Amino acid sequence: MPENLTHVPYYPGCSLKTKALGYERSAMDCAKTLGFEMHEIATWNCCGASYPLTKDNLMGLAAPTNILVEAEQHCNERQIDAQLITLCSFCYNALKRTDFAFKEDSAKLETLNAFLERKYQGSVKVLHYLEYLRDVIGFDNLAKLVKRDMSNIRVAPYYGCLLLKPKKEIGLDDPEEPVILHDFLEAIGCQVIDFPGQVDCCGSYLIMRNPEKVLELSHNILQEANDYGAQALVTACPLCQSNLDQSEGERHGSDHFLGVQGMPIFYFTQLLAVALGLDTEQHQFEKHCIDPKSVLSACLDDDVGESQ
Amino acid sequence: MQINLQSNQSAFGELELATGEIISDCYQCGKCTAGCPASMDPSPSVLIHFLQLGLFDKAVNSESIWNCMGCLTCSERCPKNVSPAAIVEGLKRIHLNNLQPRVILHALGQEFLANSTQQAVVSGFRKFV
Repeated sequence: MPENLTHVPYYPGCSLKTKALGYERSAMDCAKTLGFEMHEIATWNCCGASYPLTKDNLMGLAAPTNILVEAEQHCNERQIDAQLITLCSFCYNALKRTDFAFKEDSAKLETLNAFLERKYQGSVKVLHYLEYLRDVIGFDNLAKLVKRDMSNIRVAPYYGCLLLKPKKEIGLDDPEEPVILHDFLEAIGCQVIDFPGQVDCCGSYLIMRNPEKVLELSHNILQEANDYGAQALVTACPLCQSNLDQSEGERHGSDHFLGVQGMPIFYFTQLLAVALGLDTEQHQFEKHCIDPKSVLSACLDDDVGESQ
Repeated sequence: MQINLQSNQSAFGELELATGEIISDCYQCGKCTAGCPASMDPSPSVLIHFLQLGLFDKAVNSESIWNCMGCLTCSERCPKNVSPAAIVEGLKRIHLNNLQPRVILHALGQEFLANSTQQAVVSGFRKFV
């Protein structure tokens, strides 16, 4: 483990502290092995989850602006690079789009600063954990730190929507033909399954209004991944994870899931922790509706651990 | 259906102003509709066509707007740089501003909410209440 860990400010968001605790814990454990430490900004609030799509809705920018200003203060006090790392696709999308809105129209920033009685300078660079792995750590370097043989599992990357769209504002990868999760999975040594449903929507927050539709959309994604030979899916979004996992859990064994033999939905950091040979006891694999153990047994049946 | 052209024009203008979209830019290629995972009916391009024809009420009262989940596939693929997702959200807001929530959150039940992912609940407040 590297001795001097880089201090990286971190914004968790609501799901990471509750339903997706395994995502946060695995990400934090992996970070330490990779040479950085995620420091939660002390006073954070909800980002509002879904960014307002209508341009006049400045109220929807108040919550993310408050987060950005807290992050800016956190960095200034410590005299470190003004950046903020996120895990959840929704948080990443809301914070990055807010930042973009200010860069495009400084009058919006002035209005928000006046409303919040804060003084955000617009310096914070919003990063996704995947982006940090790709651009700061480097996938080549990541590959060198892999301790476990992951080549026995066939994993399909599932991107969803908000991690990538809109491209002009997010700019992480191409929204139609993304590669970042493919490259990540290749780096940690998995067999990567490319399937067309990787950028299809899982139904998102429609779960609050029309769960049947979410079930249908999630099923299509799972079925397709299964048809292409995947044993598991990997995602970066807590809502994608729960929509896919719960849909599968609910209908598993019924006609709707004929042919899909329990496909676990991993957070990419959970697989990373396995690949790095970390102790995954705290990473909440047991909270998944579809138990990932059978898939993981292909790479966990060895004695590689923290001790190595 | 009665169309009051004058009031519709002002509603149309307000929608354009609120969303920042130029609705007349749409040339009805249908790419948005082809990619819509919510299989909205009326579809995004048809809703925009209603608006272009002055059938504002027909667009705003379409049940399909409530099936949009903001995945942004339509907006990303539009060759004319129109965001159907933003227009749909603008239409939804017209309802919500009149205090007509589409989801009664407390009616969903404690168990459902306890099992829900937090960001979905927050989004539910944002988009349906």
